[in-house]
Amino acid sequence: MRKNNLKIFSFSFFCLGVFGLFVWAEPSYAFNLDGFLKEVEKSSQPQAQPKKEELDIKVQEPPQQQSSDGGGMIGLGQSLGIFDKKTSNILKQSVNTLQALQPIAYKEEKAIGGRLAVEVFSRYGGNYDDPELLRYINLVGQAVADVSNRPDIDYHFAILNTEHPNAFATPGGYVFVSIGLLKMIENEAQLAGVLAHEVAHISQKHALQTLERSRSLQGVSSLTLAVMDKNPGMFDKLIDEVSNVLFTKGLDKNLEFEADRYGREFAYRMGYYPGGLQNFINKLGKSKAGGKSIFMSTHPSATARYSILKKSWSRYQKASVYPVLEKRLLSALKRPNKS
Amino acid sequence: MHQSSLTRFLLVLTILLLPHWASAETWYVKKSSTKLQAKASARSEVLSKLQKGTAVKVKKKAGKFFQVSTGGKTGWVFRFKLSKKAPAGGQADGDVLATLGGEQKMNARESASGSSIRGLSPISEQHARKKGATDESIQAVKNMETFKVRPEELDRFLEEGKLGEYSQ
Repeated sequence: MRKNNLKIFSFSFFCLGVFGLFVWAEPSYAFNLDGFLKEVEKSSQPQAQPKKEELDIKVQEPPQQQSSDGGGMIGLGQSLGIFDKKTSNILKQSVNTLQALQPIAYKEEKAIGGRLAVEVFSRYGGNYDDPELLRYINLVGQAVADVSNRPDIDYHFAILNTEHPNAFATPGGYVFVSIGLLKMIENEAQLAGVLAHEVAHISQKHALQTLERSRSLQGVSSLTLAVMDKNPGMFDKLIDEVSNVLFTKGLDKNLEFEADRYGREFAYRMGYYPGGLQNFINKLGKSKAGGKSIFMSTHPSATARYSILKKSWSRYQKASVYPVLEKRLLSALKRPNKS
Repeated sequence: MHQSSLTRFLLVLTILLLPHWASAETWYVKKSSTKLQAKASARSEVLSKLQKGTAVKVKKKAGKFFQVSTGGKTGWVFRFKLSKKAPAGGQADGDVLATLGGEQKMNARESASGSSIRGLSPISEQHARKKGATDESIQAVKNMETFKVRPEELDRFLEEGKLGEYSQ
């Protein structure tokens, strides 16, 4: 009986503590809870709901739950015998998850994306110097970005000096296409589709979604420039992790399919023949060069991508007559006109 | 008989009012400097330039243009420059693909600061240097960021290709 009373007392004390923690942590914690609920929704509906962005969010520190020695209210619960070690660990993990879910704001997104953009130039042949062609790529890219779901940020387009057919996007608006890929492109509608696929990764924040679930951010309630500056080790890990995803492992295949669908949609909105992307994927899949392409190796198979796009083609049936602008592309690439 | 006439009258009334109700939709401008034009044509007079987040009432839909009214003015806007943002906590954007997953709604605060964030962040540059990135790679990103196409240049490009507002 006495033991039970002690447990009830301990549990009440614990609840009071948790309540106190919520009051102490105030609005930013409430925001995290909102984020957590969204994350729960996300897990049942993978490509989920719109996110809120906060540009001026504070770091939640020092979170008691972060301590690895079983400290904080949950640790107290464990030491009082209210929770066993396993439950305590689950609770600790949940609290850490809560803290990791604050969406990454634009300036931080741009800092991460800018760093990764340097990495792209370092790894994939550096800059291809042709100002005229660069202007053309920027015009096509900007056109599709303007009708994307996120037209209100700056997009930057560059050409990589490698013969391997590659295309990349890093968070914050950086888009790359290699000269090798451009040589394989047959018309402007295909180019618009490829650039729009990359724009879609940025507009749908695919890399950020992956990053926000990252282990390197566990225990961080919001990732601000100040936090990055104070924790170079964490920034290191974070960049390594995203580099690994973008350049080696690839994003989740569903995110790639989504970027294909949105890429086609953005090209269509701009008035291009919407089959450009799927035709290029098909071509690249069949070519030898495609095997050396990051655009292919980090993505689901060309066959799967092509067939998924074909399945949802009916919406674009009437747009089959939209222009492909072959001559304009050939002229920009200084290739002889076929006709 | 009398009841049947009443039902018919209500049905006709509903059909007549439906377009009116539909036209009362509120949409939002996705990007600043969106053109409000006198006619549903890219070459028509520009009545004003709308700022991002401006709410407009859609009165009519004609192809790729919506007739909208806002701030006492009525004109036409290229439809893909508009977004049907749901009320707070509401559903998806006016994007048909949203139902397929992944719609990201625009955030007013994002753009406000988005346009003011320029250049490679010092943290990114320091980190890149620490990891041995070359000056060329760092400079390449800076050049990429400063490269801009002017709006009128983009407009001419779209007109030549019969794209966007100029598409048939």
